[in-house]
Amino acid sequence: MPFKYHGGVHPNYMKAPDVPVISITPPPQVVVPMAQHIGAPCKPIVAVGDYVTMGQKIGDNPAPVSAPIHSPVSGKVIAIEPRPHPLGDNIPAVVIENDYQDTPCTDLAPLTEAELQDQEAILTRIREAGIVGMGGAMFPTAFKIRGGLGKVDTLIINGAECEPYLNGDHWTMRLHPEELLKGIQLARIASGLDKAYYGIEKNKQDAIDLLNSKNPAQYGVEIVPEEVKYPQGGEKLQIKAITNREVKPGGLPAGVGCNVISTQTAYAIYRACYEGVPCYQRTLTMGGSALGKSVNATVRVGTPIRYMVEQVGGFVKEPRKIVLGGPMMGLICSNIDAVNIKGTAGLLFFTEEEDRNVENPTCIHCGQCLQVCPMKLEPVYMYKYFQKRDFEKMQKYHILDCIECGCCSYNCPGRLPLTHTFKTAKLLFAARAAEEKARAEAAAKEAEAKKEAEAK
Amino acid sequence: MTRKEYTFDAGYQPQVRAKRGTSNIMLDVIIALIPAICVGVWQFGFKALIPVCTSVLSCVFFEWAYRKLLHKHATIGDLSAVVTGLLLAMTLPANAPFWLPIIGALFAIVFVKQLYGGIGTNFLNPALAGRAFLFASYAMLMTQWTTPNGLKGSVDAITMATPLSSMKAGVALPEYFTVADMFIGRMPGCFGEISAAALLLGGIYLICRKVITWHIPVAFIGTVAVLSLIFGGGSEYSHVDWMVYNLLSGGLMLGAIFMATDYSTSPTGFNARLIYGAGCGILTVVIRRFGGYPEGVSFAILIMNCCAWFLDQLTQRRQFGVSREDVKAKKAAAKAAKKEAKEAAAQ
Repeated sequence: MPFKYHGGVHPNYMKAPDVPVISITPPPQVVVPMAQHIGAPCKPIVAVGDYVTMGQKIGDNPAPVSAPIHSPVSGKVIAIEPRPHPLGDNIPAVVIENDYQDTPCTDLAPLTEAELQDQEAILTRIREAGIVGMGGAMFPTAFKIRGGLGKVDTLIINGAECEPYLNGDHWTMRLHPEELLKGIQLARIASGLDKAYYGIEKNKQDAIDLLNSKNPAQYGVEIVPEEVKYPQGGEKLQIKAITNREVKPGGLPAGVGCNVISTQTAYAIYRACYEGVPCYQRTLTMGGSALGKSVNATVRVGTPIRYMVEQVGGFVKEPRKIVLGGPMMGLICSNIDAVNIKGTAGLLFFTEEEDRNVENPTCIHCGQCLQVCPMKLEPVYMYKYFQKRDFEKMQKYHILDCIECGCCSYNCPGRLPLTHTFKTAKLLFAARAAEEKARAEAAAKEAEAKKEAEAK
Repeated sequence: MTRKEYTFDAGYQPQVRAKRGTSNIMLDVIIALIPAICVGVWQFGFKALIPVCTSVLSCVFFEWAYRKLLHKHATIGDLSAVVTGLLLAMTLPANAPFWLPIIGALFAIVFVKQLYGGIGTNFLNPALAGRAFLFASYAMLMTQWTTPNGLKGSVDAITMATPLSSMKAGVALPEYFTVADMFIGRMPGCFGEISAAALLLGGIYLICRKVITWHIPVAFIGTVAVLSLIFGGGSEYSHVDWMVYNLLSGGLMLGAIFMATDYSTSPTGFNARLIYGAGCGILTVVIRRFGGYPEGVSFAILIMNCCAWFLDQLTQRRQFGVSREDVKAKKAAAKAAKKEAKEAAAQ
């Protein structure tokens, strides 16, 4: 029985779970950005003119917080140059001309029976296959699991998929239940644990039943059906729901002995270990009123958004916004020529229809934001003190512990840009901290210089 | 083939929002007031709707005119002025002259609400402040109670005393008042306050629609019940009678459900709301039992309005991930640090 937590909202889910998954043909040219994870960006290890096979490593960085990048198609490298990245700016990318042969790369062989039980072998493979958190955070999974070794006693797989519109995880559970359970087993072995919990929202009952029918216990997995509520899939709330532990403010999940990885990440681990296929493909949902329908699709990484839209029938209305991920936490992409990356769980094309912002947002002091905040913060006061730029008071109201889930803004009848404000506030705090550090360093230097002068 | 260029808007996270806006909430409050208005019309006749109409119209007009004159964006669309107008009319005697609410609306909307920045920023409940203003300026008009239709057969007078004033004077209630009558609203009083049943119905609607939380009404009414049971009674009344009459007559239900829960003038935290409601209850009983007026709900709420901000600051809740022990440990550490600093200073 999952544990309860405060707050949360029930957004209009807009999910189309019964739209079958289609596979989008890879484009004539794929553009693979060299930054598809949190941490050090990769450096291209191929040159223009090289022939690459599907799944061949094309970018890497030896830094610990990093994940290599693989070619999603086979073909010729025609350019290595900055190209639009979905999260803004132009970033070096490897452009590959698709020869439509999909010649597989054999660098990564499927692991042997013995290796499939070996913690170190699995961890090495997770790293080599370039697996990152595919829920959207894109944190390198191997580093995450290694960082938790010795501290973590509970492995949680996140199958909540609480964001509206998205069905990618749901379809992964339906289409590959056994593979998914095997992937979770591998993640569990890699973490050195006997048991993993798989939290799934009850609105995916068919998937829960299907997974349960595959005898999850033999893989050391327990399925936990969870209440349908946003942000059930938030890392801290997933931990709370399953273990009743609360991550301390400013703390990490490992601090309470938990690690959370997402559904598609577990599936990617299965593919990497059992089939020797690295992470270059994912299932995502396209939707929004500009598209006029919902499409669940399996897409190679590096497919331009413009191409994907053309493949599924084009826009029915002029889009005003492209959202990467779900509508609650998703980020804005301002360039339709950007490509999808490993962490793109959804691509939503919104028009004015979805937009309920108003010209003059006005706080009516209703306190709804307090009622929905899962972190039990007081957004109304955080917002008021932000407007006065009162940093001391903002800290008193724990503005830095906001998880940016968007519940307060979603529910705000006065349409205040609450979440957006808190994100801005965090940036201001970071800038202030950097400034203070610089000042302290300058002062230290000055003092040293003075000392030296005195000594002379 | 030319590539179509697109321009995109900057977006705030989250990219979607709930349907319910300020105007929807205000509409819910208006809907919740309908039963009480119906009882008022039933008891005082359609004539009683005249001050209601002038009150609503003048509130909307003053709001519109003030914002227009000062070149601020229009706010009458959020319906908050309509709610203020309705609530002001609810607190006036049914036979109030049509011009009385206009003066009240002027004070409520312009002086109490708009001069402090409009919706969300006023610190006094506009409707109650308007009522208090009228009460101070036109005491005679504000304390004449028409005999409701339900009681016309049993008494001859056109006007009569409310149960609360009888209790204040220490005389027994006339025997034609039954508790059931009082509950459904067959008694003299302000236009909108007489029917506890209709107001409770509205309150349940508001709580179900999540417009208000239960904290303030329950704390308010509960405190009044407990305190009037303890301090009530007298030669003509038993303690229990005193408590029941106190709960059912006067503006308690209207105040606890519709006035004290006003967003801008009440705290946002649950604990703060409980304290606030209890404070309203204590002040109400103190004024009714020991003060100079028979009725004290509106003054109790106005006084507590002034404490709302302070109560919110005082009762910041524990955030996610912080246990009771953490708070205790933090307090102890702060105490120890203080002590140490003191000792260091002493040395």
